[in-house]
Amino acid sequence: MEGSLQAKIMKRGKRSQASLEYLLVVALTFAIIVPTTYLFYSYSRESSQEITDAQVTRLGKSIVDTAETVFYSGEGSKTTLDISIPDKIGSVAIIDGREIVFNVTTNFGISEIVFFSPVNMSAAGSSCNANICSIPELASSGLKKLKIEVISKDTVKLEII
Amino acid sequence: MKKSQASLEFLSTYVWAFFVISLTIGALYYFGIFDFAKYLPQKCVFPSQFKCIDFSLSPTDVRVKLANNLGEDVTVTGLQIVNDAVPPISCAPASTPFEWSHSTDKEIAFSSCTGGAYIAGERVELKISMSYFAVNTPSKPVHLVSGKVNGRVTSS
Repeated sequence: MEGSLQAKIMKRGKRSQASLEYLLVVALTFAIIVPTTYLFYSYSRESSQEITDAQVTRLGKSIVDTAETVFYSGEGSKTTLDISIPDKIGSVAIIDGREIVFNVTTNFGISEIVFFSPVNMSAAGSSCNANICSIPELASSGLKKLKIEVISKDTVKLEII
Repeated sequence: MKKSQASLEFLSTYVWAFFVISLTIGALYYFGIFDFAKYLPQKCVFPSQFKCIDFSLSPTDVRVKLANNLGEDVTVTGLQIVNDAVPPISCAPASTPFEWSHSTDKEIAFSSCTGGAYIAGERVELKISMSYFAVNTPSKPVHLVSGKVNGRVTSS
């Protein structure tokens, strides 16, 4: 009788030890996974911001450089750029023919990334209002073809085709 | 009757366990154990056209050193600093407007900072925005650039 009681206590003790060990392992796993996930998420969020900035910078520079190259090739010259537009671009506009402005949304506010062109730039006629020409097609992400054409002796036109 | 008593005892035991665990987690949270952001590196992020070179967070001042990589001379017309605290941080920005030549660095200071949980020894995340225009553009359109400073406020 006493022996069976002792066996029961032993059995219960072993089960509770197993449960406790299980709980400890789960708790330790959570203690490692939760902070690690948070840290990696924070790193990746900041990295994605830097990647968007780098992509927009490369895009803007290539448009301005190509516009200059085409301009000095003479009137009627044109070329097509294959461009990859990143997410988070709200709008794109050409101001005064010399500034191409990318409106980029970041997790700490809106930033305008501006590129200055040495040659006069313009967009398709209907999208121009006073000294501002908007290019809404450049604000949607994805792969696009941008035609850069010298339309007069002093103007280069940008158009998504 | 015995079964219901057993169930009640089981439940009351676990309610107490749940209560104790909640209290423990609450206390750990209160003392900032779960504030994992403090383990992230201190950082100053601005678009590459105004690259952040350095920053300092003293108990009353916020200073950021930026480089003008636009390739154009600009005039800075406004500076603003905020954070997500309620009420947000309040600082006196550097006086504007001021000229900024291309390919040069500028230290931008915000002084007399108060509020916004801006306390010595604490980790803070500040959002800085700056408006400017290029002097050579005829209509002088004003542009906005935003950046972020994430760091610990020094003790002195």
